[in-house]
Amino acid sequence: MSEHATAETAAPETTPDPAPPRRRFAPRNLWQTIGPIAVFVVFFVIIGILQPDFVGGGGLGILAIQATSILLVALGQAMVLHVGSLDLSNAALAIFAAILLALMLGPLGAVAPVLCLLVVTAIGAINGLLVAYTQVPSFALTLGTLGIVQAASLVVSGATTVYVTDNAAVLEPLFGTALAGLPAAFWLAVILAALLWFLLRRTSVGQAMTAVGLNESGAIFAGIRTRWIKVLAFALSGLLAGVAGIMIIAQAGAASSFGLGSDLLLPGIAAAIVGGTAITGGATNPLNVIFGALTITLIPIGAATLGVPPQAQSLVYGLVIIIAVALTRSRASGEIVK
Amino acid sequence: MSAELSTATTSAAPTMKLTGIGKTFARVQAVKDISMEIRQGEVIGLIGENGAGKSTLLKILTGLHQPDTGVMEVNGKEVTFRRPQDATAAGIGVVHQEQALFTNLSVAENIAMNGSGVKDQGTRFGIFRWRILNQEAAETLARVHAKVDPRAIVGDLSFVDRQMVEIARALRVDEMVHASPLVILDEPTSVLERDETEVLEREIRDLKKIGSVIFVSHRLDEVLRICDRVVVMRAGEIVAERATADVTEDELFALMIGHNERAEVHSRDREGAKPAPILEVEGLRRDHAFHDVSFALVPGHILTIVGTNGSGRESVCRAIFGAEPYDGGVLRVGGEEVRSWSMSKAVRSGMAYVPSERRVEGMIGGMDAAENLTLVHPGAARSGPLLRKRARAKIAAEWFERLDVRPRDPALDLARFSGGNQQKVVMAKWLQSADLKILVLDHPLRGLDPGAAETVNRQIRAACDQGTAVLLLADTLEEALHMSDEILVMRDGEVTARFDLSVEAPTAIDLLGKMV
Repeated sequence: MSEHATAETAAPETTPDPAPPRRRFAPRNLWQTIGPIAVFVVFFVIIGILQPDFVGGGGLGILAIQATSILLVALGQAMVLHVGSLDLSNAALAIFAAILLALMLGPLGAVAPVLCLLVVTAIGAINGLLVAYTQVPSFALTLGTLGIVQAASLVVSGATTVYVTDNAAVLEPLFGTALAGLPAAFWLAVILAALLWFLLRRTSVGQAMTAVGLNESGAIFAGIRTRWIKVLAFALSGLLAGVAGIMIIAQAGAASSFGLGSDLLLPGIAAAIVGGTAITGGATNPLNVIFGALTITLIPIGAATLGVPPQAQSLVYGLVIIIAVALTRSRASGEIVK
Repeated sequence: MSAELSTATTSAAPTMKLTGIGKTFARVQAVKDISMEIRQGEVIGLIGENGAGKSTLLKILTGLHQPDTGVMEVNGKEVTFRRPQDATAAGIGVVHQEQALFTNLSVAENIAMNGSGVKDQGTRFGIFRWRILNQEAAETLARVHAKVDPRAIVGDLSFVDRQMVEIARALRVDEMVHASPLVILDEPTSVLERDETEVLEREIRDLKKIGSVIFVSHRLDEVLRICDRVVVMRAGEIVAERATADVTEDELFALMIGHNERAEVHSRDREGAKPAPILEVEGLRRDHAFHDVSFALVPGHILTIVGTNGSGRESVCRAIFGAEPYDGGVLRVGGEEVRSWSMSKAVRSGMAYVPSERRVEGMIGGMDAAENLTLVHPGAARSGPLLRKRARAKIAAEWFERLDVRPRDPALDLARFSGGNQQKVVMAKWLQSADLKILVLDHPLRGLDPGAAETVNRQIRAACDQGTAVLLLADTLEEALHMSDEILVMRDGEVTARFDLSVEAPTAIDLLGKMV
């Protein structure tokens, strides 16, 4: 401020209110709040009308079973997206966890799942440390770890499908018990989503994660230890991938190193995004990711119902992702797109 | 309009003539009633304090802003610049304050960039014809006697060579109009070393043979050496025009500042001995930014560093807060030397930093004002790891009331507030701390209206009265003279003077004399 301003505006007082008090329920916020639920409901109703047997015949239960591991991977991805990064390795981590579990469950029993979670959480944390300290963009770095984890899966599994030999009963309750027609595994994932919601909305660590995602420089200047926040996000991604791996074994009793997680990677990212997670960071509602995952799981089912050939299913995935991002992106930032 | 200016070069009309140019932003009149003439072959010095309206005037001359009132004439014809290209087409070239070259491209490409679309022999169907491009660039460079290879990558050149490339590029405008060009140099020497400056000075004097020059600089000795005439701006107006032959540096100082303000000797009745310093800086050095900087911050005192662009004072502040590394010297906080200093350590030791880049560094856009306010020092808004929303809303409401933040809605995204109100929230974020020891303020009043500026200044003094040590980078010398207990003057990375305002009362001219 210079003297001329003082001279010019000596008489009038302070600034008039510049920003009109526009509140939370602006259209785009509205979408971010209820959009993912609305999309799921609309999809589900359409399929219900076209294929009444699906809804009547326990379709929702099947949907929930299939959605469980996608949801867990998507929640992990959402945490990483929330701090403005991307984790391409977490689906492969889920498969790696599943293979480890299949091999260890027999000899170790109930200790095996815990051990698995520790291993993949540690790998996730290493991802985070590398991103935070080497300044390699997370996209490139996790592409690298993706390759390493895939190789580890192939080596550990001997490049074949590994089966649970014993102690399968430890994991049986996950899909063996049901509540309101949905398996316990799905409810567990929902509880985890609720915990993450609490983390982001009600704790100072979550607030710091949001700050990092919205404006990393600003967060550093506020004294936030942003590196550790990133490590935490990636560790959570690893942990949730581990839980997803447990679910894979609980459901199928075997894990194959052939797919290497490619059938989880894209759906996981897609579910997070359809769930309203902003890829630019800072705007994540883990509860909405539940509906994102359900919608994504519904796509192949719905596409089949509508007679879309399986070969064209990727096309539907692609369209849904593009539309969802276009709807959730804040256009306030103008024309600049990363 | 703008382009058809094929008047003969030899016409007696001035290269540029301004009559009654004025421009108002929001409610602030940035320039008013500017009338001046620049004749052919003349080098005009344009001087004035920060905020005197120089930049606005330059932006009007180069088509970035459109004046609200007044008439611009180029070579005797009235012109209207709607965009920068119009100014280029009329023969006005500009060398910006921050170098605007593409460092990853070659010299020839950079020079060609300015002319593309106008006289376009360097490309055919959009494809570069390298031989012609390089040859044209070599010719352009030869006009300013720059010994630069057109094929060199700009990033590999020295500062002075880059500056010459910029000048050469700016000069190309005369190929578009067959008239003498006007080249505007906006503080071209602020980044140069002394010997480089001499080269540049010589080249600027040579430019007279080709066209006219407007030379903007903070270094008055240079202005007097280089220019034929000096135009002094203050508070958006031209307050004086002098031939350099009839004026001295001191007179120019006085004209820039107007009333020569003097600080009051404030013995702000503090009883007893000065308290022990909370922060000590000894021989602090950062290569290419500052060296041998020493001072101490004392609780309840405001120390202001003044200096022009390139004085290194911003870097000093950032190094103290851990935002930039330093290469040597000692930093002691509370008597203890700090090691592997970082921003999070600075914050935890009771330091606060209000950056000049508010939107990028000072706040989290997208987060509501209340969250921003309690992000660093949550106080009652946090218990253990948990956030307490109700307590947060209460704290925010109190600060909003105290600092008169408008609109009174702490739940609104902070990015949606005006600059002044954002700055109040940013200040509150730090003042919230129960134990604020050191407050570092990098241009805290930048872009604020007088009301908000007054509120922020009151808060700075209040913090000070409660025993916080303040390090201030002021926008203007008046601000420095009014606020400080001690003033440090920096020039080219060195401390050139210090004034203890409890024993002496420097004037603005005393400060300026050590700055430039």
